Amino acid sequence: MSRFFRQAGDSDSESSESEDELMSSEDEAPPKPSTAAKPAMSRFLRTAGSDSSDSSSEEEESESDSDDHTHREEADEEESDEEDRPQIRILSAVDKRLKEMEATGKVMENALKINDWMAISNEFDKLVRMIQRQQNLSEPVPAFYIRTLVNLESSMNASNAKALTAMKQKIKKAVKEYETEVRKYQEDPETFERDYLNLVSRDVTPATVTQPTRSGAGIATDQVDEFTTVGKGGKAMQFTSESIFKNLQAVQEARGKKNTDRAEQIRILELLLDVANTSYQRIRVLLALISSRFDYNSSVSSHMPTELWLAAQREVDQLVSIVAADHNYSIQEMTDDYDELVERSPTTEKGVVRIRGSIISFIDRLDDEFTRSLQNIDPHGTEYKVLYCTICRAQAFYEKTSQTEPLGRVVMRRLEHIYCKPDAVVQALEAAADTSEVKPEMTLAKQKTTSGLVHALCVYLYKSGNSLLRTRAMLSHIYHHALHNDFYAARDMLLMSHLQESIHSADVATQILYNRTVVQLGLCAFRSGLIKEAQGTLQDIFTTQRVKELLAQGVHQQRFQVMTPEQEKAEKQRQLPFHMHINTELLEAAFLVSSMLVEIPLLASIESEEQKRKVISKPFRRLLDFADRQVFTGPPESTRDHIMQASKALQDGDWEKCRDLIQSIKIWSLMPEAAAVKEMLAKRIQEQGLRTYLFTYAPHYSTLSLSLLSRTFSLPLRTVTSIVSKMIWNEELSASLDQSGGVVVFQRIELTRSQQLAQVISDKVAAMVEQNEKTLDMRLGGTAWGERTDGTKTEKRGEQAQERRGRGERVRGARGGARGRGARFSQGLGNQMPSGQRGQ
Amino acid sequence: MADHDLSKTIIPYLDRHLSFPLLAHLAEINLYPKEEVQQAQYELAKGTNMADYAVSLFEQIYPGKEVPTEFDEKRKNVVEKNERLQQEAQAVLDVIENPDVAQALRQDKNQNLQYLKDNYNLTLEQITALYNFGQFQYSYGNYSGAADYLYHFRVLSTDNDLNTSAHWGKLASDILTGSWESALEELNTLRDTIDSRSPASLLASASASANNLPDPALSQLHSRTWLAHWSLFVYFNHPQGRTLLLETFLSPTYLNTIQTSCPWILRYLAAAAILSRKAAAGVGAAAAPISSRVRHAIREVVKVIQTEEYQYADPVTSFLKELYIEFDFEAAQRELSLAEEVVGNDFFLNEFKDEFLDNARYLISEAYCRIHQKIDIANLSERLNLSQEEGEKWIVNRIRETRMGADARIDLENNVIEINRPPLPVYQTVIEKTRQLAVRTQALGVAIARSGSQGAAAAQPQTTKPDAAIQTVAVN
Repeated sequence: MSRFFRQAGDSDSESSESEDELMSSEDEAPPKPSTAAKPAMSRFLRTAGSDSSDSSSEEEESESDSDDHTHREEADEEESDEEDRPQIRILSAVDKRLKEMEATGKVMENALKINDWMAISNEFDKLVRMIQRQQNLSEPVPAFYIRTLVNLESSMNASNAKALTAMKQKIKKAVKEYETEVRKYQEDPETFERDYLNLVSRDVTPATVTQPTRSGAGIATDQVDEFTTVGKGGKAMQFTSESIFKNLQAVQEARGKKNTDRAEQIRILELLLDVANTSYQRIRVLLALISSRFDYNSSVSSHMPTELWLAAQREVDQLVSIVAADHNYSIQEMTDDYDELVERSPTTEKGVVRIRGSIISFIDRLDDEFTRSLQNIDPHGTEYKVLYCTICRAQAFYEKTSQTEPLGRVVMRRLEHIYCKPDAVVQALEAAADTSEVKPEMTLAKQKTTSGLVHALCVYLYKSGNSLLRTRAMLSHIYHHALHNDFYAARDMLLMSHLQESIHSADVATQILYNRTVVQLGLCAFRSGLIKEAQGTLQDIFTTQRVKELLAQGVHQQRFQVMTPEQEKAEKQRQLPFHMHINTELLEAAFLVSSMLVEIPLLASIESEEQKRKVISKPFRRLLDFADRQVFTGPPESTRDHIMQASKALQDGDWEKCRDLIQSIKIWSLMPEAAAVKEMLAKRIQEQGLRTYLFTYAPHYSTLSLSLLSRTFSLPLRTVTSIVSKMIWNEELSASLDQSGGVVVFQRIELTRSQQLAQVISDKVAAMVEQNEKTLDMRLGGTAWGERTDGTKTEKRGEQAQERRGRGERVRGARGGARGRGARFSQGLGNQMPSGQRGQ
Repeated sequence: MADHDLSKTIIPYLDRHLSFPLLAHLAEINLYPKEEVQQAQYELAKGTNMADYAVSLFEQIYPGKEVPTEFDEKRKNVVEKNERLQQEAQAVLDVIENPDVAQALRQDKNQNLQYLKDNYNLTLEQITALYNFGQFQYSYGNYSGAADYLYHFRVLSTDNDLNTSAHWGKLASDILTGSWESALEELNTLRDTIDSRSPASLLASASASANNLPDPALSQLHSRTWLAHWSLFVYFNHPQGRTLLLETFLSPTYLNTIQTSCPWILRYLAAAAILSRKAAAGVGAAAAPISSRVRHAIREVVKVIQTEEYQYADPVTSFLKELYIEFDFEAAQRELSLAEEVVGNDFFLNEFKDEFLDNARYLISEAYCRIHQKIDIANLSERLNLSQEEGEKWIVNRIRETRMGADARIDLENNVIEINRPPLPVYQTVIEKTRQLAVRTQALGVAIARSGSQGAAAAQPQTTKPDAAIQTVAVN
């Protein structure tokens, strides 16, 4: 340690010794304190320090001599390279920026004199960007920028068509941004400038000191867009606007090669971007820069560092705004060959300059990287907005240039970002997007509601030819409907799309989206109190017991087979980022509760073992059986415990306990409108409790007063009558109402053993014939024979007495899925079975 | 009551001429201000060639004003055009009405054309003149003439599109002249044409969607929707209409059409189901030709009403809903009194108002009696919107004329009806269950024998099918 401190001290003293050395110590000053705490770094640091001081002093001596640096040892150089980079960048950036800004200002002034607003506009853009960067580094806004603003604003009265109006808007925006400064300046320009100088000299004394040093050293910083830095291998690379294309080509050639230092490449490109001064150059450099940023980490599994991502995002933005602002340039995936080394401009190309590249793929990539990073790190808010703005901007751009294919993709991306969000989030996103200068055609402001926005986006995609996009748009649209509790619209759309038939052949991502949509639809039905629908919808996905995997919210561990690493990796990639997750626990709660409400009355209505096999919800039954087997049941802890105990309470007719248990489940709080949902559940529990009670205890009563029932279940008398009537009508309950007495009269017939057996055997024979028919049906492909059976069935149905009317439907129901549940009941369990078995 | 009026929804799906009766009806029932209805009639007539009618309407609306001259011109034009077209058509008609020709014509249209061309120098263009003239006649209100010409045209022409168009024209003409028999015939053939178009167009649909043409499935849906609306005229005027309506509208294709594009038709479906109750429940075995669809119409309709409730509800449908889904007799009664008014105001249903009411009452009492054991007569009368006296009479009639009589007794002392329905004997249920088994097994045997004779070669691919089916189930 001591050695290190001495070393640090040395360099300090060195710097005070001579003015030449001052610059190098300036180089070193910032990183030292921060790294001083890390003893392990000290060795690097020392060498690094000496290195760069060496290099700068050498440069001082002879600029042309720089080739000599090659003789250094490789290791040393690598280290220095790593350490050097940020420092050099900071240093060169600080003074260069200022100079550059001033130069820009000058150009603008000149242009102002000759009234060339096109040039002013371009220069101003540049200036604004530079100021932006300045702010990012939390450096004060230079006074001359404000001055320029004020000057420009005051001289805005000239008339030069488009460029002028564009400029006017820009100025207005900028002025607004720096309102206070501008006012201060207008009051007293001199003081303002002085203030600024004071501020700067206090803050950036070192920088101002360096400036003369550097110019004195003869490095070519006099010219605005030209400076020298030490490239890899000690070669001095000259970045000038003339040599941009050469450098670009060099970088592109190096791209993809094995031992190319990607970070180095990015750095070079960044520098190139700084010196690029025509739109064409900028576009070219940006294209290369963005792709190399995406190249930065090659491995598929890891995600892009956030800073890199942000930088890439900014650059894509920049690219889009350049292309959008200047119609003479267009970026296309297919272009004619052109000489990469020649500067091109609208005048040389006679019209539109086409440049090879693809913005849409950048945006796709940006989005993908974003998702990937969300999979790995905590969700964060601001990037989200930024990304959304970028997408909107790109959409606006494509709309303007009317390129349909990428526009479809961009719209899809945008849709994917908003379809699963609640209104508030979408509004926030849209508000952020609204602030950008270019707006796409479809905005929240225009469509009023988020549903309107989603609708507009979807309708656009429906019209586009791409069937994959259409499918996904459709699913997103349905999802959105479901999210907004618009169950019928969502269901109708889903059914009319006929997606359920073709979804098996779709790609995995779409299947996941489909699953998500179906699940959301189930939740929607649950929220709107359509218990049976909710149960039916969620059933499919829960019977697989792989909910998480199907929704891409977690990797499934298979017990008996091991996944290959590739499979696992693919699986991991598919996972959705956290903010898009549908809470599986909530989902399970909704499913189990709706299963309970459907299943418990059914269980109560069933007397024989035989019929017990007919199960609606297998997972629920399994849980219930498991809960039944337990010797001791403690107070409920998990959601499942709650529901199981509630089910038992419901079976016993204790609806109040059931209700309390269900309502005390904590997970409901995650559901929007939790209070309303709870209320709805309480009502359903009352009704189903009444039904269960009637089924269970009917054998023990000969009459039951309706008013008693209404009191016990605290339901209005009318509802009770209605429920009982319904059960009688559907022949679930063999009873009738006595209106004058206000009671239900139960009827029972005791069957003898032989009668009972006769019934069982007739049932079985019928079942056998049915089974035969079904088997033959399948054998023959269900065409000719199927029609015939249908024919016989309808005929049969006609002939059968009313008591048996559910049968034909049951057959159809068995084929068509879970349909016609009521028909199950009407098979005649009501009055024919012996009552002795009921109590169980 | 105007909010339950469907005229506004229906008229867009009708031909201009078909709307006249609807508007005339509206003018009669005073649901809307008379002036507005007249204005609408005038606007409607202005677009047709019925200049005289338009003029008379104009005079009604603006009594003192001068009749615009455009009608005179129009009239003149119409008369001129009429003569021209008639001459063209007459040439064809002369040939066709020649008894020799009538005999020589055969089933094959192409052959007929050839024959006409060879012997009488009659080309397809000339035959099209028949169509033009028919259409023109229709446009100025000579419907029977139009029907004639369109019929002749259809017999001769081979052009598919024009034929369909002629079909529609003929149907409209028949409806407007009130010849329901021929209209029904026309309706059925038209329905067949629309339905039969589907298999052929299914193949085309793939290419059509690529070419951005209107989807054939969509156009089929459109024509079905139109047909559903037009057929209301026929079905509610033809004596057999209601059962036929149930038959048609409850078939899966039309049910789908109704559910997707015109849920308001459900009112007529529900009304027809209620009206045809007697036909369905009534004479039983004697009315054998009635299909099961009609027999269980009410149940089916109730199911549809329940699923479509979120889209469409009016007193007629909610009456059925309250009665058969909620079993809320009070609400049903309330809805019935509303429905009575709606039915009375409806163009198609107003003639059936009493019948509707009677049948609806019957439905209520039937449901009520099935659920209850002891019924207070006063209460039941109230449920049926009747006074006690009336109610008693009505109930006695019901008991007498239906099979309910066996189980129900009126206890006048306590003023109650007691219904005693002995539970179905066990042996009967066993018989019910096993009755069909032999027949079904025979059918199975026949099917197996037939498939066996088809050859073993075909069996190979078929056996793979069950596996596929199982797989899809597993995936689901």
